[in-house]
Amino acid sequence: MEAKDQLNKVIDNIEKVIIGKRDIAELSIVAMLSQGHVLLEDVPGVGKTMLVRALAKSVGADFKRIQFTPDLLPSDVIGISIYNPKDMEFHFRPGPIMGNIVLADEINRTSPKTQSSLLEAMEEASVTIDGVTMQIPQPFFVMATQNPIEYEGTYPLPEAQLDRFLLKVKMGYPTPKEEMEVLARVQAVAPIEELQSVIELEELIKLQQQVKTVKVDETIRNYIVELARKTRTDSYVYLGVSPRGSIALMRACQSYALLKGRDFVTPDDVQYLAKFVFGHRIMLRSEARYDGITAEEITARILAKTRVPVQRLVGQ
Amino acid sequence: MPVRNNKVFMACLYILVFFLLAEWLTPVVVLTNTGHRPLFLIFIAVALLMAFLKVPWWISGTVKILYILWFIVYVYTGAVFFTGESLSFLWEDSRQNFQALASQNWAQTTDVFRTLLFFTLLWMAVYLIHYWVNYRLSIFLFYLLTVVFIAVLDTFSPYAGNTAIIRIMVIGLLLAGLLHLARWTESHRIVLQMEKLAVFIVPLFAMIAASAAMALYLPKADPVWPDPVPFITSLSGQGGSGDGSGTASVGRIGYGVDDTQLGGSFIGDSTPVFRAEVESGQYWKIESKDTYTTKGWISAGNVGESIVYSNGQTVNTGFSPGTPEEAETALLAMDQDFPFVLYPYGTESFVTEQPLNYQYNTAIQRFETFRGGEVVEPDVYEVTFSEPSYSLTALRNTTMEDLARLPAEFDRYRQLPAELPQRVRDLAEEITESSTSVYDKTRAIESYFSNNGFEYSNTDIPVPAENQDYVDQFLFETKRGYCDNYSTSMVVLLRAIDIPARWVKGFNQGEELNTNDGLTVYQVTNNNAHSWVEAYMPGVGWMLFEPTIGFTGSASVDFDLEIDPTEPADSEMPDSPQPEMQEETEGDSTAAGQSGPSPGERVLLFIKENLGKLIWSLIGVGTLILLLYRYRQKWMPKLLIPYYRIRGGGSSSFEKAYLRLLKQLDLYGIRRAEGQTLRSYASYVDSFFGTKDMSRLTTAYEQALYGGEAENVKWVELQESWENLINLTSG
Repeated sequence: MEAKDQLNKVIDNIEKVIIGKRDIAELSIVAMLSQGHVLLEDVPGVGKTMLVRALAKSVGADFKRIQFTPDLLPSDVIGISIYNPKDMEFHFRPGPIMGNIVLADEINRTSPKTQSSLLEAMEEASVTIDGVTMQIPQPFFVMATQNPIEYEGTYPLPEAQLDRFLLKVKMGYPTPKEEMEVLARVQAVAPIEELQSVIELEELIKLQQQVKTVKVDETIRNYIVELARKTRTDSYVYLGVSPRGSIALMRACQSYALLKGRDFVTPDDVQYLAKFVFGHRIMLRSEARYDGITAEEITARILAKTRVPVQRLVGQ
Repeated sequence: MPVRNNKVFMACLYILVFFLLAEWLTPVVVLTNTGHRPLFLIFIAVALLMAFLKVPWWISGTVKILYILWFIVYVYTGAVFFTGESLSFLWEDSRQNFQALASQNWAQTTDVFRTLLFFTLLWMAVYLIHYWVNYRLSIFLFYLLTVVFIAVLDTFSPYAGNTAIIRIMVIGLLLAGLLHLARWTESHRIVLQMEKLAVFIVPLFAMIAASAAMALYLPKADPVWPDPVPFITSLSGQGGSGDGSGTASVGRIGYGVDDTQLGGSFIGDSTPVFRAEVESGQYWKIESKDTYTTKGWISAGNVGESIVYSNGQTVNTGFSPGTPEEAETALLAMDQDFPFVLYPYGTESFVTEQPLNYQYNTAIQRFETFRGGEVVEPDVYEVTFSEPSYSLTALRNTTMEDLARLPAEFDRYRQLPAELPQRVRDLAEEITESSTSVYDKTRAIESYFSNNGFEYSNTDIPVPAENQDYVDQFLFETKRGYCDNYSTSMVVLLRAIDIPARWVKGFNQGEELNTNDGLTVYQVTNNNAHSWVEAYMPGVGWMLFEPTIGFTGSASVDFDLEIDPTEPADSEMPDSPQPEMQEETEGDSTAAGQSGPSPGERVLLFIKENLGKLIWSLIGVGTLILLLYRYRQKWMPKLLIPYYRIRGGGSSSFEKAYLRLLKQLDLYGIRRAEGQTLRSYASYVDSFFGTKDMSRLTTAYEQALYGGEAENVKWVELQESWENLINLTSG
């Protein structure tokens, strides 16, 4: 079966539960295929948890959830070794991070210490406790949510840690029509319970490998680099997109191309994904905030000003 | 409701179009001597009206055909309605034309056929302009063509388009303005009622009226640039040196005695010669010459006799004066003094204040003035004359047999040099083949010059080479020249078929200064020096003929009753080229210029001499290139499609073709923003044209460029989409 068809089946499946958020579902899949993680930024109650659960169920993955609170400790996330008096040894009790798909809810409510333990696990896909390194089972996909920064009692994530998320996505409220549809569906029974898996985990891992074969032409690589460089020289920007950001954009584009049934990346992919990849990687100067400019707007401006490659590079 | 459905608005447009078409018709009618202009205008008006009312094609076609048939019947038979007779005329005529066409005997087609063709042309013009106005909402091309057409005619033909060009500017600007308004409202999907339209239209009218009025009444500066016309005409002719010999020389116009070496260019000279106060302009004869030498004219010596007339005595010039009732008197006041008097055709007597003797030499027909045995140069004299008139019947009855019976004294008017090339004689035979009477043969030769590609010019005229005949060079090689060329050639052609003829020198009527009491004062200058032809009609006498083009008067003679040959030539357009000369070749002919400067110097000299021309041609070429570049979107596709067809398949072809298409779309006006991807651009283009071609091409192009799978692209299958888009963008 074609990769595109398989992935579309997953998305269709998610859509049975989450109404009108096909793009978010697509982006989640893109992140998962790229072995990256998603930061969802939105208010509670718009269906973030439902999305992740639906995704987990659709791919038949192990689903874990961590509710972050100010008093949560790193060991509550990654697990702890407990002394067993019977055999006089320490036994490792894995924390909730050891799952395929992890929902890290309200990540900015916990202390930086706990945040960084999570982010380390995300980056390394392994945890180390008492000198023992344990691999987290693949596929491993974290979807973290955070309340918008303006809310009280939060610890904003440091820049370096934001960089570890492949995409930052805003979910947004459903339209009135969609919301009515939601009400109609949950009236009888919570539909999430009836969801069946449509793809095996092994197949998902294979797709992750296939993503790496999607062709990124030199013109496209050039285009991505050009975009990243422009974020670093923009007058409103304090810190631009790192090379890790460029890599992230390329990976995301490859996944997206696969999702769309192509074996090559086009500038359209780059343009579509740039705001999700760059949005949380651009640190604005305070002037931008006074002028009401957001990172998304800066990205859009750079996209409009950067020449799209439409012919072969000279000398090719 | 779009503007083009607004009846009032469109009616305005069609009325303007009618006036514009009328401007086309006018010069054609004037120049080709076609009559019935109002009837042609009615045809245009009816055709436009039917186009405006959107009459079904089969009705309008029938109406137009009926009108054309009626016109033919009315004009050629005089019948106002279709009678049996007129129908049989139509039938007979079409049969004749059909036969002529079938046998490819073009000369046999009748005037009716030419009329039909002209109507067809008008029909097509009306259709085209209707299409431009009604569907394209654009008139610029036609407007430009009209201006160019009138400007060219005004420059190179006797047609004077002075006011026509102003009318065209006004009509054209109004049309262009209204059509622009129509296009603008349609492209913005704005619906305007008449009163709203008026908000735009009234200022448009006011502005054009104001600017036209200002342009009309403001003083006009003299041209800053030298007149490019002589340069252009010299390019089209074969002036310069005929046969690599015969270097052009430049003389100065004016009356001279020596005519042994004709040819070469001359420059104008408006030095006054005399003023004539006379009822109507006349040709003023001085003398004639009889012997042609292959290079020019001399007078045979020792022939004829001298007759001395006294003041007021009736003279005999060999031209019988017209009726006494038409006798008139001309007063000549000389600015330059000559030892002879100038006289018009039909002269009866001369009078001066102080009595003179007029010695008339019958060999050269010159009246030399003496007093008491001494040559005098009269300042002022009066000539009584009555223009001769000829009976057409008598002229028609002249036969070649009569010529054979002429006495020997006419032989010198049939003289031709033995070296005269045979082809000149053959040409004379050929021209006069179809005419029978002497008169008709003469007329045939006279009019030969006006429709066989001859052109009037006084610059860049070569002098014949050593062994070259002056007439032969003009008739067969250069075909451009001034009165000497035409008159000499006509005399030689006449003599070649044994019609006695002589070469006459004098002045033409000159320029009107003022009129009072029925008399007009004409100023005659050196520019009016002229030469023409007299031919002998057996049984009738000598008669004036005017072969020089630009002096076309004798062509429009009414053939009914009596004919007065001098009159047409005289009363013709005063604006026609005012040539003529008879130059003292004191010019810088520099003999030959063979042993000349080095090539490098010659190039420099050439550049120096032709700096003006070079600048003009550079400007011309530059403008052409600019125009070609500006409108490349229009013509390039015509080349691109065959080019890529011939180039054939291959992925590099496809990529080049696709990039070419992007450029073409850009020129067409669909701009792609810098940051716009091909995919989104393609869907915009497709929604613009209502096609799917661009998306199809773009998918393939993406695959080739970003996917690196150029070899999988089937250019042949995409070619149709590509050509479709290229064609759409060139429309």
